[in-house]
Amino acid sequence: MSLREKIAAGKFVVCAELGPPQSCDDGVIRKKAGCFRGVVDAVNITDNQTAIVRLSSIAAGRILLEEGVEPIVQMTCRDRNRIAIQSDLLGAAAMGIENLLCLTGDHQKFGDHPEARGVFDLDSIQLIAAVQQMNAGSLLSGQFLKKAPAFFIGAAANPFAEPLEMRLIRLEKKVRSGAAFIQTQPVFDLDQFSRWLELVRGRGLHEKSAILAGVLPVRSAKALEYMAREVPGMRINPRYLERMRTAAEPQEEGVAIAVEIIGALRAMAGVAGIHLMPVMWESITPRIIQEAGLMPPEAPAPACAPCAGEENPINP
Amino acid sequence: MNLVTKEKRTFSRPMRLLSALMLLGEDVIKVPVFRCQRCGECILSHTGFVCSQRCPKRLRNGPCGGTGEGGTCEVYPERMCIWYLIYRRASLFGRLKMLYRVEKIHNWNLEKTSAWLNVFVKRIEPPKWRVPKGEGWEEAEKEGPSGDSNEGSCAGEVK
Repeated sequence: MSLREKIAAGKFVVCAELGPPQSCDDGVIRKKAGCFRGVVDAVNITDNQTAIVRLSSIAAGRILLEEGVEPIVQMTCRDRNRIAIQSDLLGAAAMGIENLLCLTGDHQKFGDHPEARGVFDLDSIQLIAAVQQMNAGSLLSGQFLKKAPAFFIGAAANPFAEPLEMRLIRLEKKVRSGAAFIQTQPVFDLDQFSRWLELVRGRGLHEKSAILAGVLPVRSAKALEYMAREVPGMRINPRYLERMRTAAEPQEEGVAIAVEIIGALRAMAGVAGIHLMPVMWESITPRIIQEAGLMPPEAPAPACAPCAGEENPINP
Repeated sequence: MNLVTKEKRTFSRPMRLLSALMLLGEDVIKVPVFRCQRCGECILSHTGFVCSQRCPKRLRNGPCGGTGEGGTCEVYPERMCIWYLIYRRASLFGRLKMLYRVEKIHNWNLEKTSAWLNVFVKRIEPPKWRVPKGEGWEEAEKEGPSGDSNEGSCAGEVK
C-alpha cells in the first residue's frame, strides 16, 4: 500500500525524515533505510536542508526505493528555476518517485554557501500549482506531456509562526492549489497547535488534505535550547526545556517527551498522522514508534545500530 | 487558465520610448512611496499597498515559515517580515480577502518595465482593486473588473 492509498483509507500514517549525507556515500542512506523499513509508512528526504550541500534528494529517493522504503522527495525553490524544477520532476517521476513535498526552501544565507545566488523563481504555492498542472498533462509553458507524472503532492505548514491568520490563508491557498497532505513544523507547544488545528477544522481543510503533525525527538537540553534560540518560527513550551535540563538521562527523557507528544496528537481530531523528524538520530525511530504504540503488527525487528555520522549541532 | 504571463518584451521603437517615459514616471512615485522593486507585474493593490518584492525570497503568495516573534524577518532579523507588514496593512484596510488570491508566477521578461503600460497594452491582467463582498475566496476571483474569472484559480482545473 502506498502513502496515497493509506491516507485515502484513513489509516493513521507515520512519516519519518532522512537527511542525505554530505558526501556521495550511498551506504549511509542504505544503512539509515534499515531503521525505517517496515516501521514507518514513508520517509521524507530533505533537499539540501538549511542550504547545506548534500546528496541530491531525488537520487536518495531512488536509493530508498531500491531498499524497499517509500520516499517523499522534498523539492525546494531555492536552487532551481522553473526549467530545472520541471526537468528534475520529470526525472523523479521516471525513476518511480510518487510523493513530493513542495517547499519554498531555507534562505541560502543559513547554509555553507551564503554567497550563493538564491533563485526563488517560484514559491511553494506556485510550485504546488505547477506540479498539479504537470499531473494534468502540461508544463508551465503549455507544452503537452505525452506521459504525465502522477505526483502525490504535499506541503508544509507552520502553526507556530506569526501572524496566525496569515498562516491559515497560506495553508488554504496550498490546499486549493492541490496539496493532498500537509506536514507541520515540530510540535513543542500543544496548546498553540490545538488552537491552530481548531481553525483548520473550522475551514474544513483537514478534510481536503491530511494533516501530519511534526514530532522531533531531542537528545539533549542543549539541542532544545539551540532550537528555541536559533530556529526561526519555533515555539517551545518552557516545561519541556525544564524537563530536559533536569533529566538524569536526557536521551530517555527526549524519547519520553516525543512519545507523550505523539499520544496527545493522536487524540486530536483532524490529525491524520505524524511526521517524525529524528534529526541525525534516525536509529531511535523504531523505539519511539514502538513505545507510541504505532508499530505495525507485521513489522520485522529492524536491524538498526546507531548510524554513522549521527552528530550534528542541532542534535548533539 | 495560466499560472504564468507569457508575454515577451517585443515593443516597437516608439513604444520603447513611451515605455521608458512611463517607467520614469512610475518610478518617481512608486520607488519612494512603496520602495517598488520594478517587477513590472504590480500587485500592490492585492497586498495592502506594501510591495511584496521587498521580501528576500521575493515571495508573492505569503510569508515563509520563518517569521520570528514580533514579525521579524528570518534572513535579516533587524528588519520586519514584509508579509507581516502586508498582513497588518491589509487587515487595517479591510483587504485581507485579497490575500487569498494565488498570484501568478513572475514573468522575468517584464522586469524593469512599466507595470502601468503593461496593463494598458494588455501584457498583464489588470490588478484587482475591489475587495470581494462574498464569503468565500471564489468571490475574489469572480468579481474582478476584467471579468476574467480564471486568473489565479487553482491549477486542478487545468485540462
